[in-house]
Amino acid sequence: MTITEHAYLLAAIPAGMFLLLALLGRYLPRGGDYLGVLATGTSFGLMIAVVANYVQNRGGLGGAFQHGLEAQEFPAWTNSIEWSTVGDFVLRMGIYVDPITVLMLGVITTVALMVNIFSIGYMKGEPRYYWFFAVLQLFVASMLMLVLADNLLLLLISWELVGVCSFLLIGFYWEKRSATEAAKKAFITTRVGDVGLFIGVVLLGKAAGTFNIQDVIHAAQEGHIGSTYLFVSMMFLFLGAMGKSAQVPFHVWLPDAMEGPTPVSALIHAATMVVAGVYLTARMLPAFEVAGDMMLIITLVGLVTALLTGFIALAQTDIKKVLAYSTVGQLGFMFVALGSGAPEAAMFHLMTHAFFKALLFLGSGSVIHATHHHQEMDELGGLWKKMPITATTFLIGSLALAGVFPLAGFWSKDEILHSTLDWGGGWAFILLAFAAVLTAFYTTRLFVRTFLGKPKDQHIYEHTHESSFVMTGPLLFLCLLAIVSGFVVFQDVGKAIGFPGGITEFIFVEHPHVFHIDWALAGTSIAIGVIGIFSAGWMYWGGSTVRSTKLAEWQPGLYDMITNKFYFDEMYQYGIDRGLLGFSFIVSWFDRYVVNDTGVDGSAQITKYSGSVLKYAQTGKVPNYAMGVAIGVITLAVVGLAVRG
Amino acid sequence: MVPLENYLVLSAILFSLGVYGVLARRNAVLVLMSVELMLNAVSMNFIAFSAYLDPSRITGVIFAVFIITVAAAEVGLALAIVIRLFRNRATVNVDEAAILKW
Repeated sequence: MTITEHAYLLAAIPAGMFLLLALLGRYLPRGGDYLGVLATGTSFGLMIAVVANYVQNRGGLGGAFQHGLEAQEFPAWTNSIEWSTVGDFVLRMGIYVDPITVLMLGVITTVALMVNIFSIGYMKGEPRYYWFFAVLQLFVASMLMLVLADNLLLLLISWELVGVCSFLLIGFYWEKRSATEAAKKAFITTRVGDVGLFIGVVLLGKAAGTFNIQDVIHAAQEGHIGSTYLFVSMMFLFLGAMGKSAQVPFHVWLPDAMEGPTPVSALIHAATMVVAGVYLTARMLPAFEVAGDMMLIITLVGLVTALLTGFIALAQTDIKKVLAYSTVGQLGFMFVALGSGAPEAAMFHLMTHAFFKALLFLGSGSVIHATHHHQEMDELGGLWKKMPITATTFLIGSLALAGVFPLAGFWSKDEILHSTLDWGGGWAFILLAFAAVLTAFYTTRLFVRTFLGKPKDQHIYEHTHESSFVMTGPLLFLCLLAIVSGFVVFQDVGKAIGFPGGITEFIFVEHPHVFHIDWALAGTSIAIGVIGIFSAGWMYWGGSTVRSTKLAEWQPGLYDMITNKFYFDEMYQYGIDRGLLGFSFIVSWFDRYVVNDTGVDGSAQITKYSGSVLKYAQTGKVPNYAMGVAIGVITLAVVGLAVRG
Repeated sequence: MVPLENYLVLSAILFSLGVYGVLARRNAVLVLMSVELMLNAVSMNFIAFSAYLDPSRITGVIFAVFIITVAAAEVGLALAIVIRLFRNRATVNVDEAAILKW
């Protein structure tokens, strides 16, 4: 028995704390926020134990790479119980811990703990304070269960649970109409994908005869599932991943989700829940690989998303919205890596991105908190002097996002670019590199316009102050991770921690890939960052928007497209107004005139009419009734005799 | 021994008389008397069948006793109604008691 086999405890502790806080939180002093921190802190501690135990045991096996072990022999801990039996079908529920899970556990618990601590400062004095922490615990529990799940049904349940938590937290300020609208939009948009996921799970479960993820993958690889059938079911599965990870055309919900409290955006809409789609795709990647053109579709979706959201982010003025579009774009990067058959690059980027994007979101939260809910860049500026710690950590986070050497984002983005080259898509490499330039550009713009230059609104500026340590502490810790977490890609660093071969070899087992510096590629990466940063710096230096206005006037059509987010919302609104409401009109017409008037009211009308005619048979005269009885009896007797012969 | 058929024929005649009385008479008291005739015809059938088919058991006789009891109660009730009718309408003609309709 090892701690790894009992990794479900990581999820069980926050789940129990959710019940406690939801039921009793309002009676506890300070809404029980310390209990929330305690629960996620315990999960964090257990995570370290699990990682240590896992890495140690893997080390004991000498590492799969060196000994050329087959994928199936790769160490994965499982622990499951019999959940229910229907006829011959036995449903087992349990956990499955492999390198991908271990990495996800680390990301989730680390960011969750930081966000919990940060929220104590950020949410101070908010209404329903206890409820915020309660739902946060539920989210952490469901997210951990999602990555631990060893079968598709448990994964689906957790998948829906994180969706519910996302809905509850986006709509946390439900007094605001925009918040409830955003919550509904997020829920319904992801729901479209989730239906796909559900169909995919059912199709796969039916074909494979089991819901166990590894068995399903095995069945797909062995060709037990017909190729068209497999393609269709994997396509449905991927729809779910697209919805959750806000890939085009489902990306519209994530920017609106910024209506939620900022710590929620950091935890759910940057670091953990939105990467569930990436996780699912990485987990099922061997099945995707054998499912027709699925890999190409994944690459294309990621590429389109990365480019489109890169453009949209250029013209956003809300700090959080820039970060939201950036998140969608970075998820696109991960999907490109997955489509190129490099889950190790995707998972690596997932990890570094989670750290530096959570840092950026919490940093923006610190700004929003300090300026009393001003998050428009047009109102801010020059905050560096007022909030040095926030500004410094935000700068490092921005540089990591822009992919500056030697911060975390540089190494992981490099790996993704490398994976597109390995896969053989030169065009994909060029487009992705361009998306990376856009990333560097809008990140720099965000930083320059918020923290540098002269304050645009003197009143806001003067009331700004640096946040307390409970908020800057998590910033500093995440900042540290944003600097160092990229180094695990090196074999020497990996060897020191326990996985010789570095993170990329640690994560993916079927095509072990060991990191080595490709100087041409690294140079390109550096050039990408430099181009993006310097062009944005030149354009916005000192907080001036003169040059950018000129650029907008030079290409008004393109600028119009970008500021209107390529009219996605308008297209959906049009589709809903014309298509959905039109269809609803037909259905309601059918219901009213056919079902209701003919079916329901019709039978009543027939009864009423026949009654109005037949009532005259009721004469009230006793002999008439007696005659009726007599005739009836005689008829029955005659018929009875005739039938009996 | 008298054959069973004789009883059945007598019973049928009695029953038919009763039916005729119920259908043809207008006087409520006579209608009630005809109903009694029909009931007695049925009782006779029961007793005859009981005595001829399964003499060791007295099921039919028991039935007849019950029918007499129920008939007595019924007549008591019905005559009370007839008296009320007469008090209100000064008639016992069933054709005139015809307001219970649409």
